[in-house]
Formats: sequence, C-alpha cells, structure tokens
Amino acid sequence: MGKTLFEKIWESHIVVEKQNGPSLIYIDRHLVHEVTSPQAFDGLRMNKRKVRRPDLTIATMDHNVPTNDRSLPILDQTSAVQIQTLEKNCKDFGIKLFDINSPNQGIVHVIGPQLGITLPGTTIVCGDSHTSTHGAFGALALGIGTSEVEHVLTSQTLWLEKPKSFEIKVEGKRKNPHAVTAKDIVLSIIKNIGTGGGTGTVIEYRGQGITDLSMEQRMTICNMSVEAGSRAGLIEPDEKAFDYLRGRQYTPKNYESLVDNWKEHLKTDSDAKFEKQFTLNISDIAPQVSWGTNPGMTCDVTESIPSPDEFSKGDPNQKKSAEKALEYMDLEPGTPITDIKIDRVFIGSCTNARLEDLIEASKVIKKQKISTNVKAMVVPGSQMVKKEAEELGLDKIFINANFEWREAGCSMCLGMNPDILSPGERCASTSNRNFEGRQGTGGRTHLVSPVMAAAAAIKGHFVDVRELDLS
Amino acid sequence: MKGNIIKYAQDNIDTDVIIPGQYLKVHDYAELATHAMEGLDPDFHSKVKEGDFILSGRNFGCGSSREHAPIALSHSGIKAVLALSFARIFYRNAVDGAFLLPIEIDKDAYDGISEGDEIDISLSTNEIKNITKHQTYKMKPFSEIIGKIIAAGGLFKYKPDQD
Repeated sequence: MGKTLFEKIWESHIVVEKQNGPSLIYIDRHLVHEVTSPQAFDGLRMNKRKVRRPDLTIATMDHNVPTNDRSLPILDQTSAVQIQTLEKNCKDFGIKLFDINSPNQGIVHVIGPQLGITLPGTTIVCGDSHTSTHGAFGALALGIGTSEVEHVLTSQTLWLEKPKSFEIKVEGKRKNPHAVTAKDIVLSIIKNIGTGGGTGTVIEYRGQGITDLSMEQRMTICNMSVEAGSRAGLIEPDEKAFDYLRGRQYTPKNYESLVDNWKEHLKTDSDAKFEKQFTLNISDIAPQVSWGTNPGMTCDVTESIPSPDEFSKGDPNQKKSAEKALEYMDLEPGTPITDIKIDRVFIGSCTNARLEDLIEASKVIKKQKISTNVKAMVVPGSQMVKKEAEELGLDKIFINANFEWREAGCSMCLGMNPDILSPGERCASTSNRNFEGRQGTGGRTHLVSPVMAAAAAIKGHFVDVRELDLS
Repeated sequence: MKGNIIKYAQDNIDTDVIIPGQYLKVHDYAELATHAMEGLDPDFHSKVKEGDFILSGRNFGCGSSREHAPIALSHSGIKAVLALSFARIFYRNAVDGAFLLPIEIDKDAYDGISEGDEIDISLSTNEIKNITKHQTYKMKPFSEIIGKIIAAGGLFKYKPDQD
C-alpha cells in the first residue's frame, strides 16, 4: 500500500522506533522565541548540557516586543527581562538570533519561510502552537512545550507518538477569490469539523481549492490546523512552494538538487490510505465571521447569531458553551452579523500579516477613512514584510485611512505586549483565536480575513466584502 | 491518589483562560499559581486546595503551547486533570514536566462525578473510585511511553536505554 506525505516524512526522521510505541524523531529545524524558551535554557545550564545543533536552531523575539518606535526603551520591565534573557541565552549557547533591531526580526512563523529556513520534507518544531504554519511547504511542523524545547535543544530529537493521517479535500473554485479568502476556507473547515475534529491527527490539505492558493494563503490554512485540534497540517509541495523559497537569505546552496529530490519523493502515493477524511466544497462559501469564544463558533457574514439550541444540535456541553460565549460576547441570537458594530480592528498575526494579506486589505480602502468610532492598526508579520509593504506604498494607504502602521510582532493576537483590548471592546481581528480574554481581559474578538477586517474598519460594522469592488 | 473534584462542566477549556497571556512573563511559579484559571473562574485561587483534581469535558487545554498552563495548575495544588479528551500539547506538557496527571475519562465518570466529590485514582488498576458516591469508573490507561515518562518523573528522568 502507498504512503501519505506525512508518513514518508515521519519514517525518514525515525532515529529509534519502538514496537507499538513512540518513535524518537530527528528534528531538522528548531525555531526559538522569548516566551517558551527561558526555562529550557535554565534546564540546560542546571544539567551542564549544551545545545546539540546550534546551526539548526534559530531565534527571534516576537511575542512580547512592543510594536511602536523601536528606538524607545521597553517600558514593561518583565518584557524587557524576557527579551534580554533570550539575548543572553543565544549568546551563551551560540544560537543565531534576529533581535529587536534586526531587519530579519518578525513573527517566527513569518520569518522562517521568508528566510528560506523552512524547507519541504523537513521536521520543524517551535515552542508555539502555530508552528503548523510551516506545513504549507510540505514540512512536518509541530508546536511543542518548554520541556520538549529543552529536549530538542539538547538532543535535536523528540519522543513522539505517531499521529493519525487526516485528509481534508478542498474542492471547487471560489467565484470571488479576493473576497472569499484562505481564512474563510480554514474557518469553514473548523466550523464543520469542530475545534476537536482533528485531535491526534496530522491534516494533509488536498484538492484544487488548495493547489489554487498562493503560498502565503496556504500558510494561513496550515496555521489554523491547530485550532481544529490537529498536531500539524501540511500540503504537498509544488512549483509554487519551490519558487517561494528559491534565492532567500538562508536557502541552501544545493537548492536545485534538493528540489529535484523533493519533486520525486514528497508526494502522497495515489493508493495511500488516510485514517480520517473530510471534504469541503468552496464554490459557494461566504466570508466567515466568528461570533463566539472558540474558532468553531463561526458563521457566514450573511447569517445571524445562532441560538445556543441551533448551535449545539442537542449536545448539552455545546449548548452551555454557546450560552456562555454569547454572554461574554454580549450578543443576542438572531442579530445579523452585519449589524455588529466594532470598536477596534487588528490586521496582524502569524495567520494573516504577510505581504499578500496587507495588499488585499489595502484594496478595500480606496482613499476612504476608517469609521470615526473605530481604532485600527496594521502590524506587519515581519520587518521584511513591513519593508516590502512600504516599497509598495501600502503604509501610506493605511496611514491616510487613519490606521496605525506598526513594527513587527505578535502584538494584539495574544495580548502580551501593550497592544490589548480594553474590557468590553469588540475587535475585528485577522488572528487565530477568539478565546475569552485572549486579546486583553474582557476583550471581544471576532476572527475574520484581512479584507473583512479592513471593510469593518471603514464601515464601523461587519460587511459582506463580496459586495465591494476589490480590484 | 485521593483528592476532591473541582468540576468545570464544559468543553474546550483553553490555555488562555488557564493562564492569560499577560502572565507568561512571570517566572515565579508561586505567583503564576495565583493567576491560574483566572480567565474562567476568578474564585479558583481561593477555593483550590493542595491535592485537588479538575474535572472537565472535551479538548481540555486547547490553544497555545504555553507550559505555564500545567505549571500554574500544578503550583495551585492540582494533582490531576480528568477530562473527556485533551489537546495534545497540554497533555505532553503536563507529563513531560511531571506537573500533573492528564487522565482521560469516559462519559460515565464525567456525568457521575460532581463538584466536591472525593475520588481515589489508581494507576495500577486504571480505576477511579468515587468515595463520596460509592461508584467506580474506568480511566483510559496511559500509552506505553506516557506511562514510562510518568513513572520516571518527567521527560528528562526517562531513560529509554533501560527499557
């Protein structure tokens, strides 16, 4: 029987295999950031261990860096300490660091592919759940915790139980790909399979709906695999993937011979069997807006807030969750999504802060200003994205519309730096999680695509972007 | 292992409510513990006792990879989380650092055990006894590797070459 792409990558990285048990898996790339690494480095010191492969380990600071003027000192002392600690750890252990002043600084999942560090067929880990993003290039990319970060630092391996393979087939062609985006595809998937639908699996996204997407759009899809509970998500690499990585700063010198090898081997065999399957046809899907407090609580922009009974379909826990979510979100069942007024807009995060996301969002603006009741910000995913956007004049488009144009970082996606919502504020956000308090205590998050967020900023409420001219 | 139950009868308790993002800069575990479950239950810190267990629904610990989540619960006194299912990163974090036991239970245990019940977990028989209600439930046994890491006292104490 044939094998899936995931199985091929898994098998080619086994160092030790135990019968019916876990495998010790070799890790090709380890990405490190300031929040989940300090205790891991402390552990190394305490046990007098070294970093086994500093050459395969790359660090940056993204989670709690301020996104305002980089020449100013960091006012939050605990953030400053965490950032200085990463600097010291990288220096002591010989790890390459893209620090706050580096032109390569940015969200770890944005800079990996941009620098050519992310490669097809590799295993990639990072102490961050959204590591799944790198799967867009046909890598097996896993989010891990701090103990596992320490284990990889010291051994370049991990004990892992083999996840199950899950095929998600995305069929059909979107009628308006500028209005119905990769974000809407992945939110539709999670809405259908649920936040636990992928538990214990690695998803392989397949079908025309996926191959039609650009690399940056594929990253948005793979990024949110973890919101369906999956260990990772990946996509068979094709010419688009090989082109994206060609000629980047850290792309290997023997790249073309690697590409030849990848073309031959990094495929799911036609007779391979997946352990789980789901198919979504995207021909008629609408822009998506989350209304609740997990990414599965999402509906079409044309719909109204569902009642807990409608949402739960008889499951008492789901009903209770929906009731609690509506109370937290201060929403009434039956309210049309387009009637929901917003206070804040956040265009950013490892899900949707790449150049293409900013280009698409800028098309909505067309010399308009944001609503006077709205505060809006754009936080590019990396300093490279910021520079490329500025070369295209996107910064001026956003600034003229009264958006704030910031420096790169995770920012308001997770509320670790000063970019947070105030209690009760309602935000249209291009990030990945609408959990209670995620963007600040009492803050209310609606997950949307960059074009939906930009349109909401202009109108002051959600609008169906299919009705706008996005040329 | 005996303890009393704090029950959250809901699915998808995420790591952002277990320990909100603003506390990920806190390295003092005792202080971290004072913010455990703050996003969901502001009374948690005042009611939790050393040796208590949390009982919850599906997909416990979903979201962020922050190991601060099991650390905050563990330093609050929580020895085990019993849930219908777990998000994988939380599960491994709990085990790898020997912070607490993530125990998968079935619907009978989930429905049968109430807030405040005293229960006794036996890892040798994979049974959960409800002392308060005189009931017994099955727990899902740990897989081989997880059982060994738990028995060793954490990932770094596990010595695979002695298997």
